[in-house]
Amino acid sequence: MKRREFIKDLAVGGLLLNFQPGLLAQGKKSPDLAWIQGESPAQITQEAISSLGGIRQFISRGDVVVVKPNIGWDRIPTQAACTNPEVIKTLIELSLEAGAKEVKVLDNPCNPANRTYARSGIADAAKEAGAKVLFPNPHKLKKMALKGEWLKEWEVYTDFVEADKIINAPIAKTHSLCRLTLGFKNWLGALGGNRNQLHQKLDQAIIDLAAFFNPCLTVMDGYRILIRNGPQGGRLSDAKLFKTVVAGVDYVAVDAAAATFFEVAPQDLPFLRIAHQKGLGEIDLEKLRIEKRTV
Amino acid sequence: MKKERSKKYRIIQALRILSQAVFFLLFFYLLLGTHFPGEDYIGRVEIFFHFDPLLALTTFIASRAFFVSFIFAAITVVLTFVLGRVACGWVCPLGSIHQAFSWLFKKSKLHRPKRIKDNRTAWKYSILVFILVATLFSLNLAGLLDPLSLLYRSFITGILPVANYGISAFIGILYKLKLFSLGDSLVQSMANLAVNPIFLQGFLIGLLFIGILLLNLYRERLWCRYLCPLGAFLGLLSRWNILKLKIDPQKCIECHLCNIHCETQANPFPLEEWKSSECVYCFTCSAICPTSAITFPVRTTPEQIAKVDLSRRKLIFHSLLGVLVVPFFRLSPATRRSSPKLIRPPGALPEEQFLQKCVKCSECMKSCPTNALQPAWSEAGPEGIWTPILVPRIGHCEYYCSLCSQVCPTGAIQELTVEEKTKVKIGLAWVNKNRCIPYDLGTPCIVCEEHCPTSPKAIKLVKTEVKLPDGTIMTPLAPVIDTDLCIGCGICENKCPVVDKPAIYVTSVGESRSEKNQLLLDLIKEKSGPY
Repeated sequence: MKRREFIKDLAVGGLLLNFQPGLLAQGKKSPDLAWIQGESPAQITQEAISSLGGIRQFISRGDVVVVKPNIGWDRIPTQAACTNPEVIKTLIELSLEAGAKEVKVLDNPCNPANRTYARSGIADAAKEAGAKVLFPNPHKLKKMALKGEWLKEWEVYTDFVEADKIINAPIAKTHSLCRLTLGFKNWLGALGGNRNQLHQKLDQAIIDLAAFFNPCLTVMDGYRILIRNGPQGGRLSDAKLFKTVVAGVDYVAVDAAAATFFEVAPQDLPFLRIAHQKGLGEIDLEKLRIEKRTV
Repeated sequence: MKKERSKKYRIIQALRILSQAVFFLLFFYLLLGTHFPGEDYIGRVEIFFHFDPLLALTTFIASRAFFVSFIFAAITVVLTFVLGRVACGWVCPLGSIHQAFSWLFKKSKLHRPKRIKDNRTAWKYSILVFILVATLFSLNLAGLLDPLSLLYRSFITGILPVANYGISAFIGILYKLKLFSLGDSLVQSMANLAVNPIFLQGFLIGLLFIGILLLNLYRERLWCRYLCPLGAFLGLLSRWNILKLKIDPQKCIECHLCNIHCETQANPFPLEEWKSSECVYCFTCSAICPTSAITFPVRTTPEQIAKVDLSRRKLIFHSLLGVLVVPFFRLSPATRRSSPKLIRPPGALPEEQFLQKCVKCSECMKSCPTNALQPAWSEAGPEGIWTPILVPRIGHCEYYCSLCSQVCPTGAIQELTVEEKTKVKIGLAWVNKNRCIPYDLGTPCIVCEEHCPTSPKAIKLVKTEVKLPDGTIMTPLAPVIDTDLCIGCGICENKCPVVDKPAIYVTSVGESRSEKNQLLLDLIKEKSGPY
């Protein structure tokens, strides 16, 4: 070993010890997926994050964080069309605990934003937790190079691009075109423009989007899942109390796990299959280290 | 003799201006508050209308049914009986705008007031007679000229959208100047205000309103002097009021300042020519009088005063005109067959009763969360100009929203709970298979089905064989509509990705409120046996 290399390694090691003592002290690797079941949406979310090694694994001091829920529809939480507000609230609280400078919550909904934000319960919950709840701002739409296979460029809300970290917090629902709408499809809410035209090649579009936004963490709300009449539901019987949250860094794996909520094999969902082939993530649940617990 | 302006009346004048400002701000506050408040119940944002006796009377006569909320109009009537047209001078927000503009035009020397003695003040009584006679034939034209209807309609479809456009442009400049945080917070507060930015008639209605304001260049408060039918109605009631002008002949120097500056041409001097029916009690004359000669003592004894210039001949002539105009307003195919575009908001009464009650105030259009409700032009015939119709390409009827039915001041849109509202059909959706992406191009789409709000969905996806230009056969999922479940909300038409002319559209057929405008005879459907 050369002297120069030795000094470099020393410096790196020192820095590592300084900033990430937990990582070295723990000695064991955290699981790929945390799969937590329980009565309280807030508690299972919290447990899922701590199973993954705690929020500090993902959020650093001073980060600007965007939490992206699904606030697409003018529906109340029991109808399971939008992400559970308690899940969102917990994610914001954790991020702020980790020292995030600012947490923003926004979505570009299908129904009028002031209705969906209020009636989903997310606006109140997020404000209570200390986040900035933002209506989609047309002045912040910018055509961006997405460099996707199909989607070369599209209008994106720059809040997402400017953030240091993005947490994707979708809800698991049925959908007539993708079969299921999970984390991938949640990215349509970060877009402006005539996004209804994306449906002509939706599977490819959402793969391109997921690769572009590349969240640091995906937290799938499966507290209530929508088993019928998706993606909006309506009748309370369209929703099913499932009491589960799945979280992970590998967003493909999270969606693959969520597919099994509906007894759908991940391989049967084209967007997951293609994403896996492109090397974006794992869809074979056997190959993943999953920490499954009930709290 | 001491030459001094009356301190007392100058204070009263200041109080009057304060009162006008307060009521205008109240009007504006309630107007801006007419949007989704975060819960299903919006509160009584339309309360101003219920103090309007003209609307109370015309909707009562035209529809032969009294709407309970109009009970407040009795307060205005009693007030006018006792104190005269103080509602015009102290309360009416449109009157305040006219007075403010008159003042501006006077101050900027664009208008130089002079003494006017003409009998054009009688025009408004003719307009009133004309409107009232027409209502006897169930033709309700009050909304076109009622000051509150005019004010709300102009603000909602013209002034606010213009302001909204201006503010958006301003925000754009802020972003160009890199003042991001200021721009962000402005965007968020504008989103909270939820001003509807697009109206089909906004240009026309807005210009008309500006035109009416510019009339103040010719005469102060010209609208109130010559045109306002509500003012005329209150003028007729004010003859016996107890606040009577008095001029002290000892002090009066006959300078005519009071006549020149009288806002509404009530002719304070000479006393015999003073018209209490024209006086709006703005107290300008008593405050401006250089010798404090003018007072308004409380008197119950009757006094000889100039009467409203309503000759019997004129009365008969304008009544006849009111009768004659009825068939003209009903010259429309809409009376025979429903227009496909005549999609009324949910809760709207059957068309005939709806037109009798609707006062064209646009409150429903302000409350609509999607900007879907628009002032009609030809869809409902001349009688229905500026009544609300739903234009799905602009906005859809939000499934869990019943705000328009809550803010309607006359009950033309019946108040519905959200649950009741979700069961009302306002029309039916139709697929234009010649333009639909799956039917025509064999490409997947499903956007209409995804957005359909009913559960189960009224739009079903069915595998359909499609031949492409090269002869290959595709079997995409294509939309088929279940007319039993469809409520005609129009979100499918609104979101259809065929950009110009949508491949799925809503027409009024099948609307719950109509007996005639139906597609299938339920009779035949129910008795399936013999057919």
